[in-house]
Amino acid sequence: MMSPLESTVLFQLGPFTITQAIVTTWVIMVVLVAGAFISTRRLALFPTKRQAALELIITTLDTQINETTGASPAPYRSFIGTLFLFILVANWSSLIPGVEPPTAGLETDAALAALVFVSVIWFGISGSGIGGYLKSFAAPNPIMIPLNILQSLTRVFSMFVRLFGNIMSGVFVVGIVASLAGLLVPIPLMALDLLTGLVQAYIFAVLAMVFITSTVEDGQRLNPKRQEN
Amino acid sequence: MTIDFWGLGLQAVNVLILMWLLSHVFWRPVAAAIAKRQDTATSLIDASKATQAKADRALEEATQARAGIAAERSATLDAAQKEAATATKATLTEARVKADAMLATAKTTIVQDRDAAQKANEAQAADLAMKIAAKLLERLNCNATQSAFLSQLTEAIAKIPPADLTAVLDDPKGIEIVTATALGAEQSNTNKVVQTALGGKADLKFSTDPDLIGGLELRSPHFVLHNSWQADLKQIQKAVRDAT
Repeated sequence: MMSPLESTVLFQLGPFTITQAIVTTWVIMVVLVAGAFISTRRLALFPTKRQAALELIITTLDTQINETTGASPAPYRSFIGTLFLFILVANWSSLIPGVEPPTAGLETDAALAALVFVSVIWFGISGSGIGGYLKSFAAPNPIMIPLNILQSLTRVFSMFVRLFGNIMSGVFVVGIVASLAGLLVPIPLMALDLLTGLVQAYIFAVLAMVFITSTVEDGQRLNPKRQEN
Repeated sequence: MTIDFWGLGLQAVNVLILMWLLSHVFWRPVAAAIAKRQDTATSLIDASKATQAKADRALEEATQARAGIAAERSATLDAAQKEAATATKATLTEARVKADAMLATAKTTIVQDRDAAQKANEAQAADLAMKIAAKLLERLNCNATQSAFLSQLTEAIAKIPPADLTAVLDDPKGIEIVTATALGAEQSNTNKVVQTALGGKADLKFSTDPDLIGGLELRSPHFVLHNSWQADLKQIQKAVRDAT
């Protein structure tokens, strides 16, 4: 049995080493985009059941964003929603035999954490300006600047490690149990993985939202001119 | 444990591409559909509010118009009531005048009818009295009364002017002595007394007329000397009628 910290390399594409996680990510991308395209082709004023279900997803996401941060959900909807959907589908892809979820690999989780780190900077600057964003590190007082800088790195690192540890451990445990006890024994653990995958996707998305909006709010509070504009 | 940073970057790009694609094929279209429905609902609500406001205004105008109609109706009713009261008063006055006139006419008619009835009753009473008197006098028709009538006849002949008496005597048709009943044996005596009163030259004819009741009358074509109870009763009756 190979180490859970190693990825299965399929082929080499220039400098890129194409692993199974990357291919699975592409498949997930195709499935999500195709499913979204097909399901949103005929949106009408009077919704069908399918459209109502899609609108329920949007409304629930908007409600979560609003209740969590108090901010308007429109600027963050695509980012947070895609994060949640991608992580959820990636986590649940482990249910397909022979498929290793991309979130069980270091690169994917690190990439997601890096995206959250960059998005915090992006939304912080776009929301409160560069000055406001930089001032957000001085909240609540300048003494906290080193700690805030360190926190901005460690919190995304914790997200990365949390997601990786939970998903990888689930896959690893299921693999060990399957190899030791037989085919049907891991099913309860796989059901638990479903719950774990949903919870981890939710936690990741909510934490990303909280980090982004806290930075934006701190920057706007410390840079009122930007807030007025 | 190593991290493939090329792979990390590729996964980051993959997720960014996924975000961009889903943003264009899922998040924005569905959010736009929701926003469109909300806008439509808002516009419908606004339109319904405008319609409601319009309906409220129309209702207010209708209420005001109804109030105006009610006031006009009240005024019309008041005017009609006043007019009706005036007409009723005039009609009552006219009716009272007519009734008074009819009452006066009726009183006059009643008085006239009463007078006429009284006169008719008096006439009937007089007729009845005459008939009763005639019946009573019929019983008194005897020789004594006949002698009294004879003496009264001679006295009446004596009072006739000589010229009139001569004309009666010269009438070729003669003189008729009329009695109520036949004189019988008294006829010769009566003839003698009358001839004497007339001067003894008259052509006397005796006849009877029960209507005389009693008495002795002298009649010629141009002269009548009444001397009977019938003549007396007629005279009394005429006097009674003239008195009423």
